[in-house]
Amino acid sequence: MTFPFVWSRAMAVAKKEVFHILRDPFTLALALGLPVMMVIVYGVAIDFNIENVALAVSDSDQTQTSRRLVDTFDSSHYFLVHHAVSPAAASQDVVAERAKAALIIPPRFEKDLLDGRGGSAQILLDGADSSVVGPVSGYVSGIQTIASKRIGNFSPTPPYELRSRFLFNPELNSRWFVIPGLTVVVMAILSILLTSLTIAREWENGSMELLLSTPVQPLEIIVGKLTPYAALGIIAQAFVYGIARTIFGVPFVGNLAVLALGCGLCLATYLAQGIFISVTARNQQVAMQMAMLSGMLPTNLLSGFIFPVASMPLFFRILTVIFPARWFIAIARGTFLKGSSLLQLGGPFLALTLLCSGMMLAATRRFKRDLEP
Amino acid sequence: MAIDPISIRIRNIKKNFKKTIALDDVSLEFEAGLMHGVIGPEGAGKTTLLRLILGLMRPAAGTVEFFRGGQPVTFEEIRPDIAYMPQQQSLYADLSIDEHLEFFRALYSIPKDVYQTKRQELLQITQLTEFVSRPAGQLSGGMYKKLGLMCALLRSPHALVLDEPTNGVDPISRREFWNMLYRLSDQKILILVSTSYMDEAERCSRVHLIERGKVVASGEPRGLLVREGVKNFDALFMRHAVKDMKPVATL
Amino acid sequence: MTEAAVEVRDLVVRYGDFTAVDHVTVSVNPGEIFGFLGANGAGKTTTIRVLCGLLTPTSGDVRVGGASFADGERAIKSKVGYMSQKFTLYNDLTVEENLNFIADLRKLDRPTYLKRRQELFDFISFDQSPTSLVQDLSGGIKQQVSLAAALLHDPQIVFLDEPTAGVAPASRDRFWHLIRQLAEKGKTVFVTTHHLDEAEQCGRIALMREGKIIATDSPDGLKKTFFPTPVYEFEPKQPLPYAELGSLQNHEAFAYFEPYGLRFHAALRRPETWDEVRPQFENKFNITSIKPSLEDVFIRAVENGL
Repeated sequence: MTFPFVWSRAMAVAKKEVFHILRDPFTLALALGLPVMMVIVYGVAIDFNIENVALAVSDSDQTQTSRRLVDTFDSSHYFLVHHAVSPAAASQDVVAERAKAALIIPPRFEKDLLDGRGGSAQILLDGADSSVVGPVSGYVSGIQTIASKRIGNFSPTPPYELRSRFLFNPELNSRWFVIPGLTVVVMAILSILLTSLTIAREWENGSMELLLSTPVQPLEIIVGKLTPYAALGIIAQAFVYGIARTIFGVPFVGNLAVLALGCGLCLATYLAQGIFISVTARNQQVAMQMAMLSGMLPTNLLSGFIFPVASMPLFFRILTVIFPARWFIAIARGTFLKGSSLLQLGGPFLALTLLCSGMMLAATRRFKRDLEP
Repeated sequence: MAIDPISIRIRNIKKNFKKTIALDDVSLEFEAGLMHGVIGPEGAGKTTLLRLILGLMRPAAGTVEFFRGGQPVTFEEIRPDIAYMPQQQSLYADLSIDEHLEFFRALYSIPKDVYQTKRQELLQITQLTEFVSRPAGQLSGGMYKKLGLMCALLRSPHALVLDEPTNGVDPISRREFWNMLYRLSDQKILILVSTSYMDEAERCSRVHLIERGKVVASGEPRGLLVREGVKNFDALFMRHAVKDMKPVATL
Repeated sequence: MTEAAVEVRDLVVRYGDFTAVDHVTVSVNPGEIFGFLGANGAGKTTTIRVLCGLLTPTSGDVRVGGASFADGERAIKSKVGYMSQKFTLYNDLTVEENLNFIADLRKLDRPTYLKRRQELFDFISFDQSPTSLVQDLSGGIKQQVSLAAALLHDPQIVFLDEPTAGVAPASRDRFWHLIRQLAEKGKTVFVTTHHLDEAEQCGRIALMREGKIIATDSPDGLKKTFFPTPVYEFEPKQPLPYAELGSLQNHEAFAYFEPYGLRFHAALRRPETWDEVRPQFENKFNITSIKPSLEDVFIRAVENGL
């Protein structure tokens, strides 16, 4: 039953697929429009850097010291200071969301400091907004140190000083963190979603029945259908890389070949996943849902793209192992920002290779050559 | 074009789908070089039968045997020489007639020169030459079916399996379609056509009547009608169905 | 005395440049079973849509059951019942649920609905449980339930679109029996079909081509009009090569010579020549005298452009 693999048949299928892609407005929009939109959304619109946090200040002391403290906050670009008439008014500002945080300086702040009793001021944070709490309290500690020095040469007592420096991303530019991973998100759309529809569409269309009665072999159908999407995937990857480097100015200090290898492996896995879904689902609706659930959702949420894997509960941390995106993100960030070598990324590459071969095997085996329900 | 005629024999085929019995102990003989009609109403099992012959489904019991020039062969051996036209729409709405022909040419690895001649011939017979660039989705029902037939005939098959090819097509287009099939009869191609139009039964050399998964009658049409003493195939079916159906409601 | 159930005068329907229905005039009386025949794209479906109140004509006079478009589409829709081959009932609902749904759409009050429903169940001799799912019913019974659904609001006029396509002959027979009963009760039944043997059951038939009606008559009347000379069936004693057919078709003795599967239907140009012509073919063919079929009529009318 095994005939030799005939390239001309596979390429005939590929050529037909190109026609379908070009003539289907939905597919075309997805293929061209979505990557651009994703880059815009994740790259431009969403900004995880917190700046200009509205800070309500209630200074009940009104001394030179207290004003210096306030000034330290004000002169940093993290906070946008406005004055409140009273502590109650300041905390009300936070409640009413006119401010994300409040600095409340009690009366006798300077006096207590100079008397050696230690001055304390209060910072109120809007705890309902978790995206603010972390960074803001971080800023606050940083500023506190600066303020302490400024105010009266009060240094904290430890003989040593802990200074943090953020390696690889000194300014903690969130874009540098997010964008290298964008490749995999865009790829997920193109490779999993579009591919998952293609074979399901033939089933739904009714044309699979006719196709199966011809000498064409399942592998030829798969290879033929994948070829255009593989090409699209590679173009998309190049596109995202180009945008990352030129428009967003993300540095690339690693080896391009290593990144390319990672891209290729991830793409292959995704394509195989798309085909697997496509041969399993008999209609496009189901195929799309499966693609969303098993492909896009994990890629966006569970791969470390935005939310770090390390901060996930144990169960999910283990779960992410089966998602190619998780490994690719490690590779992408490694090559972009850290200049990691192939050896250093050995773990992720091994994982990717295993996932890739496994998925391809599953996809080919699952292709039914008959019409049994 | 002398070919070794293909014939097919079906023996004791049984096929079920969950609770329904699609085919119940069906045995039929499809003699070489003739036009065979598989006649029966919807749900009779015609499509299942044809799919079983083409290996698109597997029988629960029974065998499908193929012969070429009288010698037994496997289905895989004759697969390149059998063409199929499924009942439902099975072409691509966004591909033009020419793009369809090109696609099937590649699938069957037909040499370019053979293809050119054949393409010309087929377009002429179907009178579709001026529509070659039109997408299949914009063709009328009759033209769509003709395209399906062209794709099937492209590699000069020795056996043709057509599942209700004229379903829903207007009488004129139906006629034209059957005329095209008749041109093939000279070539001793084995043709299996299923239809629920009783009047098409008489156009075949052999008819095999099926209802609810069972063979009702099989043989040469005229002879069959004479033997059973009925005027047409409607009546023949009704004769056999009478036991299961209730009498017609009287006024 | 009898006012026409459906009266159409000079109906024109245009889509942009394209004239789908070109000055159609037809008058159908109550109790008639009226058939519409024609190739796809001839204008049948468009005409039916107008008569069902689904499409507003470009121009022309249309009265359906006394209502016209001036009275509003709904006036026409209330007089008309429609049964389509493609769809009338939801497969995953029960018979009862389907009928309830239609009753709601038609705004039938409950007592009327229940009474009608029982009448219709009796009419079609429905012996299954009303709570059976439609998809579990046989093709023939489904058709009958579809008919009942179309009749639920007691319309005067019923349109049947390929009503028995693919249905088993015995069921088809029953179905036509029901249609005839409807006609006897004074309802007007329109049928469109590609099954020409179904068309034989109609009282009158309108043949459409390219938006125009080219003939309206009873089946027999049409046969006489298009075949004034006797028609014969030629059955080849030996299988005939396709090539020979061409020469026969062009034989000057025949006004009409068409393949019918393996046989041929032929009509002479001049009946008196039969005694001369016959011997030429007797050795190759078995010849019998037949009545032309509606398909012959169809071919003659539509193809040969009479």
